[in-house]
Amino acid sequence: MRSSPKRDIKFRLARRFDYESRSAALFILPVMSVLAIVAVFPILYSFYTSFFNLKLTRPHRVPFVWFDNYIKVLSDELFWASVSRTVSFTVMSVAAILVLSLSIAILLNESFRGRRLLSAIILIPWAIPTVANGLLWKWIYDSGFGALNGLLFQLGIIDSYITWLGDSDKTIPLISNSFVWKEVPLAAILILVTMKSIPEDLYRAAKVDGANVFKRFIHITIPSLKPGFMLVMIYETMMAIRHFDLFFLLTEGGPAEASHVVSWQIYVETFRNLSFGTGSAMSYILALVTFALAYFIIRTLGSKL
Amino acid sequence: MSNQFKNLNRRDFLKKTAAAGALGALGANGLITQAMAAGDTVHFMAWSAAVDLVKSHVAEFQKVTGINVNYSNAPWAQYRDNLITKFVGNAPIDMMWVSDAWLPEWAEAGWIKPVDKFDNLMKYNAEAEKFCNDSMTYKGSQYGLTYYTDFMAFLYDDEALKKAGISNPPKSWDEVTEQCLKIKNAGIAEYPLMLALAQESWLIEFLAAMTYSHGGNFTDDKGNSIMQDPKEGAVRALQWVVDAVHKHKIVSPASVEIGELTGLKAFASGNHAFALEPKYRMRTLNDPKQSKIAGRVKQALMPMGMDGSHATVGWMRFHGMSASAAADKTRAENTARLIEWFGGKANGEYKFQKYLFTDIGAGFGVKPLFNDADVQNAYNSYADVNIIKEQQALARKKDVVTPWFGEWNEVHGSSWQAAILQKATPAEAMAKAGKKWDELKKEMG
Amino acid sequence: MKPTTFDARSEIYRNKSQTTARLRNLSIFVFSILLLAYVLGPIAWLLSSSFQTEAEIVSVPPHWIPDEPTLKNFEAIFFSEFEEVTYDTRKKADPVSGGYIPSTAKDLLPSMWNSFLVSIAVVMLNLFVGVPAAYAMAKIRFWGRDGTIYTILTTRVIPDIALVVPFFLVIKNLGLLDHIASLIVTYLAVTVPFTVFILVSFFESLPDELDKAARVDGCSRLQTLNKVFLPLSLPSLVAVMLFAFLTSWNEFLLALMFTQTIASQTLPIIVAGFTSDFTISFSFINAAGVIAVIPPVVLAVMFERYIVSGLTAGAVKG
Repeated sequence: MRSSPKRDIKFRLARRFDYESRSAALFILPVMSVLAIVAVFPILYSFYTSFFNLKLTRPHRVPFVWFDNYIKVLSDELFWASVSRTVSFTVMSVAAILVLSLSIAILLNESFRGRRLLSAIILIPWAIPTVANGLLWKWIYDSGFGALNGLLFQLGIIDSYITWLGDSDKTIPLISNSFVWKEVPLAAILILVTMKSIPEDLYRAAKVDGANVFKRFIHITIPSLKPGFMLVMIYETMMAIRHFDLFFLLTEGGPAEASHVVSWQIYVETFRNLSFGTGSAMSYILALVTFALAYFIIRTLGSKL
Repeated sequence: MSNQFKNLNRRDFLKKTAAAGALGALGANGLITQAMAAGDTVHFMAWSAAVDLVKSHVAEFQKVTGINVNYSNAPWAQYRDNLITKFVGNAPIDMMWVSDAWLPEWAEAGWIKPVDKFDNLMKYNAEAEKFCNDSMTYKGSQYGLTYYTDFMAFLYDDEALKKAGISNPPKSWDEVTEQCLKIKNAGIAEYPLMLALAQESWLIEFLAAMTYSHGGNFTDDKGNSIMQDPKEGAVRALQWVVDAVHKHKIVSPASVEIGELTGLKAFASGNHAFALEPKYRMRTLNDPKQSKIAGRVKQALMPMGMDGSHATVGWMRFHGMSASAAADKTRAENTARLIEWFGGKANGEYKFQKYLFTDIGAGFGVKPLFNDADVQNAYNSYADVNIIKEQQALARKKDVVTPWFGEWNEVHGSSWQAAILQKATPAEAMAKAGKKWDELKKEMG
Repeated sequence: MKPTTFDARSEIYRNKSQTTARLRNLSIFVFSILLLAYVLGPIAWLLSSSFQTEAEIVSVPPHWIPDEPTLKNFEAIFFSEFEEVTYDTRKKADPVSGGYIPSTAKDLLPSMWNSFLVSIAVVMLNLFVGVPAAYAMAKIRFWGRDGTIYTILTTRVIPDIALVVPFFLVIKNLGLLDHIASLIVTYLAVTVPFTVFILVSFFESLPDELDKAARVDGCSRLQTLNKVFLPLSLPSLVAVMLFAFLTSWNEFLLALMFTQTIASQTLPIIVAGFTSDFTISFSFINAAGVIAVIPPVVLAVMFERYIVSGLTAGAVKG
């Protein structure tokens, strides 16, 4: 049985304008206005262009092509190859970030001498500007002069210099390593913050019940960290899927497409090929997938979201 | 936990936050927009090269003409993207540096306009290299004046060759292989030839030099692809590189990740005996402050392939005029004056091109400068002018510069790399590049 | 009064047998060393190479400790005097010093100041705009709440590359080109969705009873937020501040498009400009990297104890 539509609307309106909703609206207004002024237009603009055959070298012929750009992108072999590289980059990066940041958070949650110093030091990679970071790693990985080859050689681990980024099997893992190195500090902090908010009572109660350190870790720490994991997973997945800077600075998609990921392809399509239409379509496909993943993560790990 | 404790820390925290906020407020002064420059300002956009020279030349221009110039620059690696964004966003740009490879794209997109109608610019054509004038011309119109021009040179370390008992530099690519093997076997260099084949804007210049010297072309007179034809040099050139890496091991397998700058540093630190490098690098390579092989670096003509010649690739960059400047009479005239100041004569001499050459060795596009005493002295101190002239005469324009160059270039570059990584045969790789060319030509030609 | 951290777990450990304690200390030690090596390896190289000449940086194998340490990279950054550039005073691209110092070296500190202002402003605005929104989404049941969260999230799923051109149009229409305000506005839009997200997740972990109790006591929503939630949220607020600061500090692509002169150029732009097509000095760029790290790390040291010391542990009892 449904209530009459009129009453329903009236009821909902009343609810919408009660004190709670009014204050909620007021609290949310600033953030929404910022996004409305700055972020909404770009998003709609690129959505709009994704329906046109917009090639900048043909400024006078820009037909509306419905979903042609999407079809073109989805039937492009290179796109699917890029997708699989993006997937492996994202999976290995996010997994490494989760493991490392959890370990670091556990460490920093203990009290020991030098903890504050250590926690300051781990933030350094995060503070190096992206460009400097990319050039730093480029030089480290350099097969001729690089610090990585130098170190391994001096330690006797290798007896001749190895090709790093130029070896197409190593390219993605190496770029992922540089990415992880820079992203771990934030992830560790987010997990640590969550860890700090676990009430001590829980541990005390469990201890009284005779649970040992590991049991307490499994049954209290890990479940309580769910919100932290969720934040890290969503944020890092989004960052990894869309990551562009290191691909640009280290390999430009090379060697031979070995690091030709989706974000790189979007860049090439937009700025090198000047095809804004297909570039936008590709971006929207990627955005949709990213959103779906985020939604999935929230639904799985989020408590009340 | 005591309340007091909690509050103290919170107050403490707020104090710090407030301090940081005060700093932010201080900076609000910086928020007040500087008054927009007057309308007669010429907006000049360049990549960050020879920044001080440009600034000093701009300062002199302002003094002499009274025209205000707003000069800004962006890193080379991001310059093109930056300009495209600004063109699309209609930001004020009047004069900018353009690479020859971008000319058709930018002209078709309507971002830059010809400068044919400015007699004060056209009069310099008589003294300019024909190669340069051709490279600035698209569909019969000229789009600017030369900023700098250069070509790909074959360089060698004289001492490394002598140590291996080689008296003359190689004349053909087969001889390159032989000499490299000799040098390698003598233990002088693990990879005697340095090729920088990473994905970057330099890649096409290296590949074109290899292809042209193997007697090849990418396209025929009508602009149809012939790069996949095994008799046309590109396939042979690629085969030579693949063999050099895998069969003879005279070129590093890491070459696909080595960019021009890194390769230069490797050659300068004495790791190789031969290198393909832009000619102007000889200045750096023979400067003892920057190079361990200074004084030993010499130039030979580009080796010949089977049915080949000593041909190489040349390139040039020019000062162009934006469409928005061209649309306004006064702006266009002011911009043309600035183009003349840089690409033509300033106060009666080719000052900018000359200083650019003496400062960093970048080649000039005007012939009379070869007779300048300072230029001759500089050249003679690190290079052989005769070989330079001979090679420069054999430098060819890239036959792939079209509105679809950028798109093809991506596929072409990664095809070469795929072959070098042995993920495709040279024939397959060039077939892929050729197919892409045909598609693009059909779509956009 | 110096606050002493009360860590309940230390109490637990005191009761442990000595061997377990030793095992714990040992594993902390070993793991700390491994962590330091992982984090500091590249940093050590960054630091070491910034004191090397360009000739030494290409040594094979690399010199971990410079043979001839030089300060010229840092001197160029700190002691370049501003002088009018004329033909006579111009820096030629490869000076006789044996290394390449870009003539824009003197712009590094001004650009760092720009970066700092932008980052601080973005942090403040993030808190100002993000905290109330996050509180409302976490604790107030209102119509369209889920929709709001996903809408905010949606603004961050599109790759920045696709947004560069339209962002540029917005900034141009706002009249903010070549102005640090352009960066403040866009970085705010880029960071605030995650700020809200982080804070929502944190506020949600605080018991609803806190909220109800405050409301029953007659607090308005704003008062509840101020008096109850903010004091309990210091760690997550600090995390958010670090996040907003460092994202702004690092951002490159948008700054590249929006800024043109040193009036607004930020540190990453100036650093990228040190690579030209004619030459590059890795040692110089690394020196710039070393300097770039200092301000954020100093700030982090100032604030992070609010995270590490765990103020809220045990405080959330409702």
